Amino acid sequence: MVRIKHRYLLVNILYPDAKHSQLAPAKKSGDNVPYTVQFRRPSPDQMNGGLLMRLIRDGVVELFGDHGSGKIAGSLQVKYFSSATSTAIIRVSREHYRLVWSALTFTTRLPRPVDQPCVIQVVRVSGTIRKAEEEAIRRARLSIRRAEAAAKSASVSIAGTASTTPTAVAAGEDDFDMINGIEDPDEPGDMDDDDDG
Amino acid sequence: MAPTRPPPPPNNIKKRKEAPTDPQTNASKRYKPTDHRQKTRDARTLSTQTSSKAFKNGELDVSAFVKSRAFEISALEEGMARSKKALNRRAFQQVPKELRRRTASHNVKRVPKRLRERGKREMADDNTPTVTARRRKPTAHMRLRLETVKKLRALGAKRKAGMDRVKVTVADPNGAPPTKSTDSAKDKQQPAESTTAIKARTPKIKKSLLATPPVPKAKFRKRQIHKSWLPTHLFHAKRARMTAPSAALWRFSVPLTPTAKSYRPTHRASHERGAVAWDMSYIATVQLEGREGSLIGMLKVLGVAEEELIGRKGEKWRQGRRALENFVYEREAPHDPVAPVTIIWCVSAAEESAGMAGKEKRNRKLLLRVHPSAFYQLWEELLRLAKVAKPAVSVEDLRFDIGSLEITGPGGTEALLSALWPSRTTSEPLAVRDSASTAMDIDSESRNKNTIVEETWSSLAGLTNPAMVPKNALLAFNVQDPRLHHPPRTIKLPKTDAEQHKLLELIASWPVDAAQQPPELFDRKARQAASATMPSQKAVNRRKGLAAPGQYPEPLPKDPQIPVLLYTTAPSTTDKGASGRPPPNSSSWTLLTPWKCMQPIWYSLMYYPLSTGQQPRFGGLDQYRQLSFEAGKAWFPGDFPGTKAGWEWEYAERRKREAEWRRRPKGKRVSFERVEVGEGVRGEIGIGWGCDWERLIGGALVASEGEEAAMNVEKAAESGDKSAENGKTKAQEEPKEPPQQAPSKPPHLTQLSARQALALLATPPATPPATTTVKLPPHIHLPSALTTVRLTLLTRGVPQPCARIYRLPSSTANPELRRQWLALLPTDTHKPTQKRGGKHALPRGLPSTGEIPPHVVQQRLAQSLLEPVRAGEEGYPSCPGEGDLVGFVTAGSYDLAAGFGTGIGSLLVEKVMGREEEAGERHLCVVRNSGTGVARLGRWEVI
Repeated sequence: MVRIKHRYLLVNILYPDAKHSQLAPAKKSGDNVPYTVQFRRPSPDQMNGGLLMRLIRDGVVELFGDHGSGKIAGSLQVKYFSSATSTAIIRVSREHYRLVWSALTFTTRLPRPVDQPCVIQVVRVSGTIRKAEEEAIRRARLSIRRAEAAAKSASVSIAGTASTTPTAVAAGEDDFDMINGIEDPDEPGDMDDDDDG
Repeated sequence: MAPTRPPPPPNNIKKRKEAPTDPQTNASKRYKPTDHRQKTRDARTLSTQTSSKAFKNGELDVSAFVKSRAFEISALEEGMARSKKALNRRAFQQVPKELRRRTASHNVKRVPKRLRERGKREMADDNTPTVTARRRKPTAHMRLRLETVKKLRALGAKRKAGMDRVKVTVADPNGAPPTKSTDSAKDKQQPAESTTAIKARTPKIKKSLLATPPVPKAKFRKRQIHKSWLPTHLFHAKRARMTAPSAALWRFSVPLTPTAKSYRPTHRASHERGAVAWDMSYIATVQLEGREGSLIGMLKVLGVAEEELIGRKGEKWRQGRRALENFVYEREAPHDPVAPVTIIWCVSAAEESAGMAGKEKRNRKLLLRVHPSAFYQLWEELLRLAKVAKPAVSVEDLRFDIGSLEITGPGGTEALLSALWPSRTTSEPLAVRDSASTAMDIDSESRNKNTIVEETWSSLAGLTNPAMVPKNALLAFNVQDPRLHHPPRTIKLPKTDAEQHKLLELIASWPVDAAQQPPELFDRKARQAASATMPSQKAVNRRKGLAAPGQYPEPLPKDPQIPVLLYTTAPSTTDKGASGRPPPNSSSWTLLTPWKCMQPIWYSLMYYPLSTGQQPRFGGLDQYRQLSFEAGKAWFPGDFPGTKAGWEWEYAERRKREAEWRRRPKGKRVSFERVEVGEGVRGEIGIGWGCDWERLIGGALVASEGEEAAMNVEKAAESGDKSAENGKTKAQEEPKEPPQQAPSKPPHLTQLSARQALALLATPPATPPATTTVKLPPHIHLPSALTTVRLTLLTRGVPQPCARIYRLPSSTANPELRRQWLALLPTDTHKPTQKRGGKHALPRGLPSTGEIPPHVVQQRLAQSLLEPVRAGEEGYPSCPGEGDLVGFVTAGSYDLAAGFGTGIGSLLVEKVMGREEEAGERHLCVVRNSGTGVARLGRWEVI
């Protein structure tokens, strides 16, 4: 029997423009909110799986026309979208996941009811949803640790700035380094396998 | 998480639970429990959190951020667990393979005990009732039938009551206790309500007549018109693939292979752990009775060796203490081989009293056991010989009188021990006895001479290989009805060294030889008495019910004494363990018993819980062939194409393969006429779907014409003329059905025994053929004399049945091809058994860790480049021409015992004898599967 093969994209949505965010940093603590927390903002409530779906479809139509949209239409599905963490898992057929990926990459603004500038990061492509979920869990753990470490260092240095200090970074066992805001840069080893030919 | 279910309504008529109608229940759970699609979808949905909930009053702070991530982690983890659980299988789906069943698998009462609780819960969840047949409401149709049964039963009871008034006692001439019976035919003559003793006429035993199969029950009679059932037919028909009703094998309905997958399990059970048993009742038994001198004379004519008949070697066999397997030949001039026959003498009662002359004169009996495919040939031969013999010998056909089974594997002895409880025994039965007395005390003074055989048998507990007892040893004694001890229990096995030592001592001394009484199996009266006094299952059940819980019923003096005869089949002496093959270690027990007593013994064997776990397996014909192939033994009739039976078998196989080939569409079957067969010739040699012996021994024979014509027609049909609309031409084009009956064997085709073949092969090549034939009996036509060989492939590949065997081209005719083939011969470092990596594996032997110095790498590279060419590469030698064809493979496949492909085939002796060969090149051959162009290098040896 032939099995229909899919790819699962683990996606993060980032909101670079703080002005447009409806969530303001807490007033009392003022500037105390560390950078890591500000970097990963929650999405607005109107943003949901359906909207993400529309965004991708429109993006694919714009980039690849009806041909591309027809290719992905059958298999595209948003498996998971959490607005609190701005994380999504998108399923698409194995042959055409690159169309979706490029549409996501070229997105600069969320569609109408939200209408907010954004950057969409595809952080993981996997063959099973399980692996995508495991990666999401790993990343959530990492950001929790990072936020806690940052909060601790901020409380120690009263005039704490938003940037994380190297000493705080060393506290966690994982690599907290950020390069240009990208937390998990590609290692030379983890090239994604070109199995779709 | 658990959905709140309303309690079931009091009269729950509907089979399945309804969906909960309560509006307050969780909306996401509102689906039927049977809606699996919805269920899995639910299980796979991940719960999410909106940002307004996560971040109260729109503020971004660390704790809310951490909480939202924590929620995400738990949601994902829970979702993963949930979706995995949704794939969970039901209890009956987790049953191990051998315990799985097809009908009513969901029935809680039919799943193993450990899964029963879970199954019950699942069934309750589904609201599926487990009905029993007893409580089920009969359908309208069934009710009608039941009413009819009731009426019939009432009628029968009335009739029976009428008959009971007349009682006739028949004195049984066979010595069985008189049984009361009624005979309706005599009702009319006898005055009613009188009891008379009628002396029954002693039945005259019809000798020299073919036995008729037992008359089956009326219910089963129609199904056995052209064939007979084995005594265990009902067992096998439920669990095995039997021969097709229209295509009985040797006039028997024979189990071919178990329905369950069994190729590897059979191998494992027979070699490592467990046991495999076969009902071999289809093997024909013939009894000869007469003066010892005439019997020996008959056997001599049949081809039994002189040293067995007269010399010291066969003394124990002649006394009836050993069995002998021998190939027998026809008496008339071509002396065609008939079949391998097992010959068992009956122990004579007065052994010591008679002198040499007396020995010649006394009456003896012997049993001949022969495969049914050769039975008629042997029977005719025996009748002819018996008439000639002076004083005359009587021949009796015991085919449906004596049944047999064979059991092999390490647990075989154990299973037999639990099934066969000797009738006469001084000590307690084996299963009850404590282990201290398991091994017999040989030096004990108190032992009864009459029970030595029984005691020896009971002391064999712990024997895992019957080959350990003296070769071909015989044991004959009477056993109790095994149904009294059903279900069997695991017997006590020796555990301590002392016990093991005792067992070894017993085997070494083998006291049976001195004490064996004449086996009662040879006695017709004893056989009939045992069959006649077998109590009904109902009576057995009643006795078992009366016995104390956990106890077996007490034996009664009236119990049947089932005569059994056991012997071991040891591997033949020629099996010395071929190259790369472990020496054959498995041997088997063969049990002979009256036909009607087979079934209870079989059931006891099959349900015996082995000490190593599981139960003995049963095998079909395919398993028998598989195991004899793995042991490197030739199987009669398949591997003896030089005999009449073997020839017929080959023809039947050929027809079967041809039908299979024809069934496939043209594009998907091997097109034999395009196969490259070497020397630039295209087109398979002879018939592609058979071992074309006719073509091999040369001469256009009648037998091959039909086949050749069929193939030619096939070619003609393929070559064109597709536009033939005319029905007549189409009918002509249709290949005509090959005749149902096998054509007669080519007259000179014969099969040489291993000894003869080896003698021929040992003759130096220099001697002219005239002198070599001196060693042979003059009647053998050397150009068509075959011998059975075992093949091992030296490089790669697996021989299939019908594969062609070629000799290496001679150094004068085609030295280049010969050199190429010899270059493939692996050196000693590359044994064929050595495990190799895949085709593209790296050269072996490189150190896995550390830096490899470049010179080593280069050395390896050079070595790998120098390795012999592989098939398909340029320079791989092509197959030799048809002139070098010497034989065919009759059985071949991947050999689980050897670990590589082996085969059994037959060769024309003349074509391989007298070839000048160096030591390393002895018995090399080239094997090419039918329908393929790639040939492989192999080595053969005579078996």
